[in-house]
Amino acid sequence: MLLRASSEAIGEEAELDAAVGRGDGGVPHGGLLVAFAEAATRGSEELAEVRAQLLAAAGEEALVQAAATVGSFNGLVRVADSIGIPLDEGTRVGSGEFRERLGLNDFGGSRNTVLDVGDDVAAQGNALQDLLGR
Amino acid sequence: MHSFLYASSPHAVPEEIADAHRSVWHRIASPGSWWTGTQRVEAARLTRDARSRRSLPPWQRADPLPEAGLLPDRAVELVLKVAVDVHALSAEWVADWVEEFGDAAYAELCAVVVCTTVIDAFAEALGVDFEPLPAALPGEPDGARPEGVAEAGAFVPISKGLPGPNVAKALGLVPLDNAAFFGLVGSMYALKRFSELVWEEGALSRPQVELVAARVSSVNECFY
Repeated sequence: MLLRASSEAIGEEAELDAAVGRGDGGVPHGGLLVAFAEAATRGSEELAEVRAQLLAAAGEEALVQAAATVGSFNGLVRVADSIGIPLDEGTRVGSGEFRERLGLNDFGGSRNTVLDVGDDVAAQGNALQDLLGR
Repeated sequence: MHSFLYASSPHAVPEEIADAHRSVWHRIASPGSWWTGTQRVEAARLTRDARSRRSLPPWQRADPLPEAGLLPDRAVELVLKVAVDVHALSAEWVADWVEEFGDAAYAELCAVVVCTTVIDAFAEALGVDFEPLPAALPGEPDGARPEGVAEAGAFVPISKGLPGPNVAKALGLVPLDNAAFFGLVGSMYALKRFSELVWEEGALSRPQVELVAARVSSVNECFY
């Protein structure tokens, strides 16, 4: 949801399929960022090569920022799934289409959210505000 | 003294990040409300060890060897699950664990694994050496249980009455560990400018950062 919203905020349209490894997201260095995130999270042998490519293409500060995001989100996902929190109501309503299309509803954590309930239109309108804590 | 100088890094790590890492290492080494500093550092060690095998399929991973007597077997089991297979946790398994040890003890161990994971995942992504684990500080758990938590459909109670998404409230049973964790996330991701969709500073734009975040979440099979 934040990928889509932040892209729209700068007049672009991110391709959400990159979240599941399809494409480059339509953002600069997107293919390398996706490959870096995946290799670092899986601990795969490609990490050193992808890191070098990202450094060459985007620079040192970008590499550190990407590594910091990898670290942060490997923590955030563990908070969410170890505590078993349900999706925030606004996000549940506002993300239905792309969750279905990307296959996210098949992830184990979906058990923690009741999905087949009616959509509250008011909640959908407030989804981003809820997420951003505004 | 925990340094986090990132001396082996060829890349400049902002001091704000290093400061947050030092704070978390100190927090992990300190007695919690339900586990001693020694037990918490052991949980961090097991987390690091388990992560080193995560690229292998589950049936090829040898479980790390726990230090005898430091953590109950089921606590070790929890640490390993959160470290490498967190998406597979079920409400039933957690309820059984909580019945034996308590919900706040559950949240505290999860928090230690989470904080260790953030710091080690950063180092690994950047290609620098892991920081040596901290030496445990003496003292006994204080058994404190915070006010202001309630059932909200999660495995354990979370903070109530606060703004923001559920993930910000999830570790409400262990407020000091929750503060340490969000200190980390604040320094490494975006807490100060989280509500801004357009970032003027930094080498990566917000969509680039959110793309990394989305791919990490997906690889972890995180629904939230």
